[in-house]
Amino acid sequence: MLNILTFSRVPSLASSTVLPVLGGIAVAGLLWSFFEPESAATLLVWTPYLARGFAMNILISICAIALGSLVGLILGALELSPRALIRFPALVYVQIFRNAPHLVLIFATTYIFPFEILVAGLRIPFPDWIKATIGLAIPASAHIAEIVRGAVQSIPTAQWEAAAGMGFSRSQTLRWIILPQCIKRVLPPWMNLYASISMGTALASLVGVNELLHAATDASTAVQRTDFTVAVYLTVLVWFFVYCYPVARFTQNLERRFAVR
Amino acid sequence: MTESKREERAILVKMEDVHLAFGQTQVLKGIDLEVRKGDAVSIIGPSGSGKSTILRCINGLVTPQRGSITVGQTAVHELKSEAERIPLRKRIGIVFQQYNLFPHLSVLENIVIAPVRIQGVGRPEAERHARELLARVRLSDKEHAYPGELSGGQQQRVAIARALAMRPELVLFDEVTSALDPETVGEVLAVIRELVADGLTSILVTHEMRFAEEISDEVLFTEGGRIVERGSPASLFHNSSNPRIHSFINGLGSGAKTRESAL
Amino acid sequence: MLDSILAGFVTYTKSLGFNFGFLTSVYERTIWIDGISMTLILIAVTIPVSLVGGGLLAAALTSGRKYLSVPARVFVELTRNTPTLVQLMCAFLVVNMLISKALGGAQYNPFSPFFWVVAVVGLHIAAFHAEALRAGIESVPSATLEAARAIGFNRLQILWFVEFPLALRAALPAIVNNLVNLAKLTTVGSAIAVGEVTYASIMIWSQRDNVIELMIVILLLFSLINLLIARTGRWLENKLKVPGLGI
Repeated sequence: MLNILTFSRVPSLASSTVLPVLGGIAVAGLLWSFFEPESAATLLVWTPYLARGFAMNILISICAIALGSLVGLILGALELSPRALIRFPALVYVQIFRNAPHLVLIFATTYIFPFEILVAGLRIPFPDWIKATIGLAIPASAHIAEIVRGAVQSIPTAQWEAAAGMGFSRSQTLRWIILPQCIKRVLPPWMNLYASISMGTALASLVGVNELLHAATDASTAVQRTDFTVAVYLTVLVWFFVYCYPVARFTQNLERRFAVR
Repeated sequence: MTESKREERAILVKMEDVHLAFGQTQVLKGIDLEVRKGDAVSIIGPSGSGKSTILRCINGLVTPQRGSITVGQTAVHELKSEAERIPLRKRIGIVFQQYNLFPHLSVLENIVIAPVRIQGVGRPEAERHARELLARVRLSDKEHAYPGELSGGQQQRVAIARALAMRPELVLFDEVTSALDPETVGEVLAVIRELVADGLTSILVTHEMRFAEEISDEVLFTEGGRIVERGSPASLFHNSSNPRIHSFINGLGSGAKTRESAL
Repeated sequence: MLDSILAGFVTYTKSLGFNFGFLTSVYERTIWIDGISMTLILIAVTIPVSLVGGGLLAAALTSGRKYLSVPARVFVELTRNTPTLVQLMCAFLVVNMLISKALGGAQYNPFSPFFWVVAVVGLHIAAFHAEALRAGIESVPSATLEAARAIGFNRLQILWFVEFPLALRAALPAIVNNLVNLAKLTTVGSAIAVGEVTYASIMIWSQRDNVIELMIVILLLFSLINLLIARTGRWLENKLKVPGLGI
């Protein structure tokens, strides 16, 4: 950052101007498809199928962020370990998988894991969507480890001493002083990561998971009409936008609210 | 302060009945002013009386709602767009309270950027002139330094050199010593004193009363968006009947004295 | 010579339990090396596209003119909040198809899959650059801008000589981070058969079942590329560092 006073000269384009325009585009796209009534009707017929696909995107994204957060929290703690033997492997994992393309990891987990696992003589199926979830959870865990490490390290040790001086116990300090600050620092990047993973779920279509993009391709191949192809892919774009944009805006608001100095 | 009589010199700046408001706040309520070629005119008065705004009207950084401003042959109040005001600004230098140097450019680059990029002066010629100006403000050894490495007084002298680089007809000084440490005020005032003695046309907004008295051809006292008194330094500082001016000058007097001692 | 070194490498790694046998087949080796070069070419071509696009978008966002800033804002929000792969599919399957139709057949369409990957990934990252640059431009103090106006700079000169140089220094860390993401995103090219390293690797491992081996190589490749980008960024940061300017 520039170490100078900030003046906001250009009035920020608030959601009040952006949303109507975006809404306008979406509506225009829909209207355009209504000019071909047949195409709009076909789109309506395919909507439940597309919605099932999108539910898969949401399922994968939630599972991946949950798994990634759990593993990332542990990795972040390991990264802060005073023992090099514990710290080093965690650092290597984080470095490699933070730099790894999501698509490559999804391919990797899909091809490496078997399609079923044998547990105590039971054949448990191992569906592709779970493999894709793991493929997305791996880079997520690496990112979360970095977020956690950064947040903990950003709290000055002097605060522990100051709290102790005021009569706080160690657990009280953690509860009332340290954790609230960590959460403030962790929440915005965590939400950004969630948005990024949600968008990453579209990659699962390339390994045959029947999510929204895959469903759109199915629909477009089945219908075989140009106007419908245009409409169905625009629908995919709009649905993802409608899901991810509020998350992004909410994150921006959080960042602004937490940016108290 | 050239030898010729003041009344014989041509009028360079003329403001008539200038009114300006920022939103609901009336800042200027009818300013009349005349500056002749070679004049040094000082504007004094309490903060918030509109002194700096008068300067910004002259080079078109702000636009008054009413009244006329002419600089030479240019009717400033008739310039409608930013693009139309650019030729005017090339003729007028301004030095700001906070120096406002470009922090990413070296001292020399700060001075040559306007002649090279705007006037199309060749680089060798612009650099030659810049070095001449740096010698004049006694900063020849700092041409490769960056603004962040200089003291306030040094930065302000660079800013003066930058303003002079365009060979302006008029230079506006906007409280150029207000942000400086007392020790560095003297070096900046010394530079301005020399420029004025060499015949530079200038308008100065200042709190340095002694300095204003010493160098000015005319002093204006502003209060509440009006010029309440004007005259020669002697008449304004010593023979004024206005009690507000007395209390203003005496109120600043002690501070001005300690600063002057740094000269 | 090369063959014997490769054979030695293959035998050695085999003793460690890895199957790098494809390296001894000239055909597969060529596919794979072409894939790596294609990845490098894609990254090298897309980076300048993203930087130019980001600069233009940032200029539009901060222009203060609605007819420029609103479309730029819509584009930035749209591209930042939708998956790159979906954008690529919309570009390749929809826009490209419409262009082909308008020109009377795919054989007359001058746009290749390579073009679409560069355009989509480049503009996607450009939107992120634009946000970083916009923040930098908006943090230039108004007093500095007033000085620039007083000198006689017009709007574009202020942008080019004052705002961009200052914003670039403030935004550089974010831009480098975006370029790391850009390198990773070029892998979506495999979805429309651009023969970059992921695509080449899929072709090989579907024949030989050596996913783990190729995966290790891909991960190392991207770690290396991103290390290079980060290093270059840090070098540039130092080079652009101005004494006394607190960034």
